[in-house]
Amino acid sequence: MPYKVRPAVVGCAIRPAITGRDRSLEEIIYDISQAALADAGLTIEDIDGIVVGCNDQFDGRAISVMMASGPTGGVDRDILSTPSSSEHAFVLGALRVASGQFRTQLVVSWSPTEVSSMSEAQRLGADPYFHRALPLDELSAHAMQAGALNHVWPNAWVFAETVAVKNRRHAAVAWPDPSARPAPGKARWPLTDRMTTEPVTGAVAMVLAGADFVAERGFENPAWLRGMGWATEAAFLGDRDLSKAPALEEAARQAYEEAGIKDPAAAFDVVEITDATPYCELIAYDALGLCPREQIAARMAEGWFAKGGKSPVNLSGGVVTFNPVFCTGMIRIAEIAQQIRGKAGAHQVEGARLGLAHAGSGFALQYQSAVILGATPKGDAP
Amino acid sequence: MSNDRVGIIGIGQSNFRSRRDDASYPDLVREAVVPAMMDAGLDFDAIDAVVYSLSPDAMVGIGNAERLGVDAVGGRNKRFLRINTGGATGISSVTAAYYHIASGVCDVVLTAGADKVGECGDSQTVLNKIWDPTYERALPLGTINMLAMSAVRYMKRYGMTEEDMAYVAVKNRRQASLNPRAHLRKTVTIDDVMDSRCISWPIKLMDCCPQSSGGAAMVLASEKFIRDNKLDAVWITGVACRAETYWMGDRMGTNPTAEHADAYALGRSFEQSYKMAGITDPSKQVHVAELYAPFSNTEYHAIDAARLVDKFGDSIKRLRDGEFELGGRIPVNPSGGTLCTNAIAVTAMARVAETALQVWGRAGAHQVPGARVGIASGNGGDHQIFGTMVIEA
Amino acid sequence: MEQPMELLGRQEVWNIAYDHALGETASYFFTQIRDHGRIFGRRCAQSNRVLVPPRAFSDETLLPTTEWVEVGPGGRIEAFTFVYEQFNGLPPPPYAFGYVLLDGADTALGGYFRNVDLTNPREAAEKLAIGTRVVTKFAEQRKGDVLDFWFEIA
Repeated sequence: MPYKVRPAVVGCAIRPAITGRDRSLEEIIYDISQAALADAGLTIEDIDGIVVGCNDQFDGRAISVMMASGPTGGVDRDILSTPSSSEHAFVLGALRVASGQFRTQLVVSWSPTEVSSMSEAQRLGADPYFHRALPLDELSAHAMQAGALNHVWPNAWVFAETVAVKNRRHAAVAWPDPSARPAPGKARWPLTDRMTTEPVTGAVAMVLAGADFVAERGFENPAWLRGMGWATEAAFLGDRDLSKAPALEEAARQAYEEAGIKDPAAAFDVVEITDATPYCELIAYDALGLCPREQIAARMAEGWFAKGGKSPVNLSGGVVTFNPVFCTGMIRIAEIAQQIRGKAGAHQVEGARLGLAHAGSGFALQYQSAVILGATPKGDAP
Repeated sequence: MSNDRVGIIGIGQSNFRSRRDDASYPDLVREAVVPAMMDAGLDFDAIDAVVYSLSPDAMVGIGNAERLGVDAVGGRNKRFLRINTGGATGISSVTAAYYHIASGVCDVVLTAGADKVGECGDSQTVLNKIWDPTYERALPLGTINMLAMSAVRYMKRYGMTEEDMAYVAVKNRRQASLNPRAHLRKTVTIDDVMDSRCISWPIKLMDCCPQSSGGAAMVLASEKFIRDNKLDAVWITGVACRAETYWMGDRMGTNPTAEHADAYALGRSFEQSYKMAGITDPSKQVHVAELYAPFSNTEYHAIDAARLVDKFGDSIKRLRDGEFELGGRIPVNPSGGTLCTNAIAVTAMARVAETALQVWGRAGAHQVPGARVGIASGNGGDHQIFGTMVIEA
Repeated sequence: MEQPMELLGRQEVWNIAYDHALGETASYFFTQIRDHGRIFGRRCAQSNRVLVPPRAFSDETLLPTTEWVEVGPGGRIEAFTFVYEQFNGLPPPPYAFGYVLLDGADTALGGYFRNVDLTNPREAAEKLAIGTRVVTKFAEQRKGDVLDFWFEIA
């Protein structure tokens, strides 16, 4: 293990769909931070540092971390922010605990829907030199990625439909009340409506602690960080082969190396993938080494990735169920943490001991991360 | 511990200017990255991770502009993330890069960024949006008048005058005249500053930093990598960050924890980084300081918070006595500092870079002779988020 | 000699609107100002401090605030500045604004100072010195924001 101290997730709070206007964004962040602390059985006094993942364009605030430092407990604490993505806040929090210079970190991310148009907010991310004049938002980029995959793999759309159906079925278990689930999105060709969903407001927070602190406080079921990788693609879509995810292959390589995983296909009891569209999930199966393309038909037929299968993917319902755009990546990690801690709720996998979270974000998932969390080895101190 | 430190092995900075119509935003990043890599003597293959330094997106007019910078930093298919803590972003980015290495995960990390403040039209328009839309954004708040109010309180508490503020400007402009990378390099007199037009009383034009364009980059490495490859380095021996309340009005009133005249959390951050570096008496142990001070008055509370004086407010007299200028007891901002160059995304990184160059003995005409221990700081948000470092030869 | 190459620019405007939910606490504060011309803060039971403007929680104790407390209309100046420069999107200069500790509050509230002669900033600074008593004035037509009120020397 490269880490000086092994980090673990010891507290977690996920609110993938927040409705109503009774709480301001600051108050939502306060609520989620307090909920994660309560879940860990800790108070803010136990927290040495904070990392938030927040985005100025979605939040409608310049330097959005400023507003967040109060509600997360940042006053008189060490707080940093990663506006690149929510999952990067987890990465940096984990690195800080791994350094041994912090006992604990609180990592928090959120995604409001207060902007008049998510699409317009995302279009500001197109460079003003070559691309701003185009209608390039995240959904367009995802649609182009879907087209690219269909081009090299003419049956991809069939499997994409199957993935969307699978994840929506999972949602019916995880979130039994259908009225709690948002309506399907307005798709762009070749995506179909049920492959995406309307953005919602969401928030997520986790408490990370180092092995010494875990031992000292005796947390019952910490989710240990076994491996972590993160990488980026190039900025211009024209520079990429959108049917592939080399940055995710690299992120997976880093994570598997740290975790000592040789055969990822059979390694994980539970997996969460950022299915910004089901095509993203298909690309991730391949890039993460969960299943080569030529075997996907067979695997799907036997329900390998479905509830009750060998390596169930997106039991939470995935992004196709709840899409709080900016914090979906950290939610994937938090879902795996809850599975390992045995606290996932209705979609808990009995006895899950090793899980993989894929977090992706940006245009056609420019940023790619892979996080492996595991239970305390049996009969073993961490 | 002796094989466990994090070192700085490469530094690159632009020559900062008002506008750079010859270069796109990623071009400016590249302009700093290339010399930093040359300075480190490494190929991009050696870089395990990149930490991208960028403060408000609106300042460069590109949302998540770090994505556009991926190729400029050689980041494709590498570990990459961005930091934003406002004006502190640059030092926070070096801090994040430090943890990449201190965790044991990476050996060599590049941190880089750039800003084109000159292109955003008017930085105060963007900076008004840092205030919360609920209560305060309707007021004409900006970073200048926010710190003018700090000046007014500092005057009341410690007796600072407008002329005292001018002394800082004169000192830093004189020092910037020796630094070819600085943006404002023309020396000025006390009268020039006092006669310059009033922007937000008591801050006058020459009490203000410029809006600069340019980039900065640094390469950090593990002590093991540095030793194995027999590289030259200076060392980050203390590092910390602290925030205080977002609400400026909470830094006033009855017994505030963080007084708006002072830089409370900056002091707390320095406490932590001194503790880590084993510095017990900074006024005797520190040889050079690059303290983030975008307006002349703010250099005083930064000197106080760094405990380069015995008590708050002593900085006023001691600066006038020449203790903090080149040739003085502890030169502060020998590069000319933020007051003479402010490319917001990398300004606080420039503080770290300049401190590193000083303790390395490579600062050039503004070198502090014999400097071995230096400190750097960055301030972000509405005087809210502070980063500090101790760097040693 | 080679001619310098033509360098192009492009004007881009970020024109994007947000509808920020104010939540219950700020909504009460602004409806009280709009409908009754009264200013309220929230007390943190642990620190006993009255936070103005009101916050649903204290960023120091991280506990929810528990009680509405009416403050003002009198108060004292805590900070001020006079702005003489025109900034894009901000009001035409000169203007005076700053922070006032309203009677009964523990933290200061931002607002404009009106009816101050700003011809000479040093003279104006003496008139608005920190500690000077002021009174809150309310506009006749109020819409529920912080521009519904301002401060004048008492």
